Amino acid sequence: MAKEFSIVGKETPRIDAYERVTGRAQYAGDYQLPNMLYARVLRSPHPHAKIISIDTSKAEKLPGVKAIIHNKNTQVPWASGGLTQKRLIFNNPVRFVGDAVAAVAATDRYIAEDALSLIDIKYEELPYVLDAAEALKPDAPKIYPKGNLSVGEGRVSAPFTQQWGDLEKGFKEADKVFEDTYITKHVNNAQIERRASVARWDGGKLTVWASTQGVSNARTDIAKDLGLPLSKVHVICKYMGGGFGNKNQAQDYDLMAAVLAKATGQPVKLEFTREDDFIGMHGRWASEQRYKVGVKSDGTITAVDLYAVTNMGAYRKQSGDLGGTDFYSIPNFKKVVNPTHTNTVVSANYRAPSYPQSVFGFASMLDQIAFELGVNPYDMFFRNRARLSHGTMPYSSNYQEECIVEGAKKIGWKDKWHKAGAAPGPNKHGIGMALGGYPFRSGLGAATIRVNPDGTAHLLVGVTDIGTGAKSTMAIVASEALGIPLNQIQLTNGDTDVTPFSIGESGSRTTSFTAPAVMAAAEDVRKQIFTIVAPQLKAQAGDLDLRDGIVFVKSDPSQKLPLSRAMRRVESGIIGRATTNPEWKKGMDGKSFAAHFCEVEVDTFTGHVRITRYVAAHDSGTIINRLTAESQVKGGVVQGIGMALTEELLIDKPTAIPINPSYRDAKIPTHLETPEVEVIFIESYDPYGPFGGKSVGEPPITPAVATVANAIFNATGKRFKELPITPDKILNALRV
Amino acid sequence: MEKPKGKGVSRRDFLKGLGGGAVGAAVVSTGLLDATKVEAYPTETAGAGRGKSLVNLKVNGKLYRLSVEHRQTLAEVLRDELGMTGTRIGCDRGECGACTVIINGRNVYSCSQLAVWMNNREVLTIEGLAKGEKLDPVQEAFIEHDGPQCGFCTSGQVMSGKALLLHNSNPTEAQVRRALSGNLCRCGNYNREVAAVLAAASKAR
Repeated sequence: MAKEFSIVGKETPRIDAYERVTGRAQYAGDYQLPNMLYARVLRSPHPHAKIISIDTSKAEKLPGVKAIIHNKNTQVPWASGGLTQKRLIFNNPVRFVGDAVAAVAATDRYIAEDALSLIDIKYEELPYVLDAAEALKPDAPKIYPKGNLSVGEGRVSAPFTQQWGDLEKGFKEADKVFEDTYITKHVNNAQIERRASVARWDGGKLTVWASTQGVSNARTDIAKDLGLPLSKVHVICKYMGGGFGNKNQAQDYDLMAAVLAKATGQPVKLEFTREDDFIGMHGRWASEQRYKVGVKSDGTITAVDLYAVTNMGAYRKQSGDLGGTDFYSIPNFKKVVNPTHTNTVVSANYRAPSYPQSVFGFASMLDQIAFELGVNPYDMFFRNRARLSHGTMPYSSNYQEECIVEGAKKIGWKDKWHKAGAAPGPNKHGIGMALGGYPFRSGLGAATIRVNPDGTAHLLVGVTDIGTGAKSTMAIVASEALGIPLNQIQLTNGDTDVTPFSIGESGSRTTSFTAPAVMAAAEDVRKQIFTIVAPQLKAQAGDLDLRDGIVFVKSDPSQKLPLSRAMRRVESGIIGRATTNPEWKKGMDGKSFAAHFCEVEVDTFTGHVRITRYVAAHDSGTIINRLTAESQVKGGVVQGIGMALTEELLIDKPTAIPINPSYRDAKIPTHLETPEVEVIFIESYDPYGPFGGKSVGEPPITPAVATVANAIFNATGKRFKELPITPDKILNALRV
Repeated sequence: MEKPKGKGVSRRDFLKGLGGGAVGAAVVSTGLLDATKVEAYPTETAGAGRGKSLVNLKVNGKLYRLSVEHRQTLAEVLRDELGMTGTRIGCDRGECGACTVIINGRNVYSCSQLAVWMNNREVLTIEGLAKGEKLDPVQEAFIEHDGPQCGFCTSGQVMSGKALLLHNSNPTEAQVRRALSGNLCRCGNYNREVAAVLAAASKAR
């Protein structure tokens, strides 16, 4: 179980909180360079069309316009990690309303915007398809010559099939078999920072101030897409204003800024508008999930068969998979997921990419089965909890059961649960729960630590901090591992010319990948310090320890020396470094687990849902920083609530135009709808995690949607199988 | 080439539609135009909304005499002309609140105020909250209670919290939520932001 730590596990304010609350934090769009130009992007008004001609002559004549790039003069690939599909920054044909067709750099942003309206493009409109199920029909308009099933390229191919056990046997063993379909919609990541990229060339070297979740892979992408050596690309991201998966790596705006800066010989700042951000990048993939579930009469699952179609929009960037069945023991299983192209906004990673939508589907399914069998949902979820992964694999650590038990205790499940729809009065009380989590793995990390002659330390890591508190986490890990107080550690992050490799802040990997490297670099430094200090303390290096900035003899702690004195003659300081890639045991799975519970009040006159209480219990291993980890959970829940109740990118069918690409109409949660989220961290320890820690960024959104949906069912007795669960849907259901 | 339809009207599109004269009229009608201090620059008539005027803008206690383009917003002038990038622009259309500043004691979206309207107004931005090294209690509470996650909305949340406390030193939780309801936080850190403002209020008492 948990070990004794000096700072790990405490509530530590962010090391950069001062910069964040004073406005001094510099985000990509805050960089102002001398002689800088502003750039804006023009987008296709058609869902599917061939570009016949582009006439920029009028725009070029506008005073202040410096460069216009488009498909006819710029053919730059946008690989975005090179995962799946070849795509250019300007494509012909265009494949969705919002596909970028041109970018203009001008002396100010007004001129750039005015110039966009002076570009004359002739299109030949092509037939289009918006619905994923329609797109798979043989006579559907083809978006790609091979058809609309996104077979993918490279690491991600399709359709996904996963299978274990004996499905037929499983269904034979079942007392009952249930079938149903659940539908989720495209929702945008909607981070508050609009995309911005500032690019500058110095001779043959490109510097990009990017809003990216990973500077290392942003550099790799930019270098590959522009055909540059890695040494000639410098990516900087010290602060970034959220992304939740849609600012992984480098994206088209970084490339456009670089190309425009090259063309004009001036630095260029390219900014997205909020509309650009809603339609020009990507959101979460919509899905249609068809389940067939076999159960014993006590609710024990014997078999699950899932067939699904996911709508990836016009281009494939990421997997399109669905993982909501991952948190249960399923002896016999089959899953087929078909990522499908349509002429709509692209779908790709948004926090725990393949989970919230399919946790909604599967946990709703289980909740409904419990109802039909007359089983308490708590017993249903508990009975089917995850014991082995994929039917056979043990977990590196698993405290899911504790999450279920502690969470239920906290919300008072036993006393508060009632039969669905049985609550009295016009304001119906309901209570619901669901299970979630996210994979946890270790992998490649790197760190450098310098200890100065005065005993202070400097930690260099490539991590960005997208809001998780990753910088603070790394500094805390360094402090714990070094034995040097946190306030004597300076951190430099997110600069490819200075900081070592980092995987990129996505997939809940920053801590588990980079922290082991920080710990190993600290060990390297400590060894060097002990060698230096040993003669001064008349002891063997191996007998020394360092804590709170003081070196002492383990067997006699009164023999000690402050690091500041021990190091004062070491003018050069000490450098320690490490690259780590801890081995993962074969045949073992890693997961962070969560069980969520909430209570709602459904107003049967208005259809309005109010969440009155929310309890989130998490197994994330050792919590490195309780303060920021709790914030992660609270925030993930809020995003899930938005997806459950209000959010959906609406596309006007006759024109294929997205009609709500704005905060007001996208309806993300505000202060007013947000309940107090009570967070429980189960005391747990994973032998494969740094200091026993697993992951915490992605998991909290995963069960939130289903938790709210199941509480609404408990309140109303009506099952909502399509997101979002808006008042009109509730009123319609209640009227029947 | 038309931009995609049905996407609402941006503030700038709206101004372009009005033309320069109408903008001038709007300014006069708000009663903010001080003819003795603001001389309209000879207008370059290349596009509607172009042309420049001088404004006297007081920001964080310091008076700036600036020539601003008619269609420049206060947020843009703060960021681009005065280098005060602590005021963030999240939507540029009066929806998210990242650009919130305090004008004459009230929290206002600076992306939705034209700079020319700001003549002789007193603007307080996030940069002006601390007294030297001493942070404002709202800022201190935001640090303690982990108010910022990504931090992009934080300036706006802090300014709305500050504006509330200027008028109500003892707000209820519901009052804090309402006062901050125009400030979106996609990190979903609302619990923390509300707790911070309440803590700042109780500390100040």
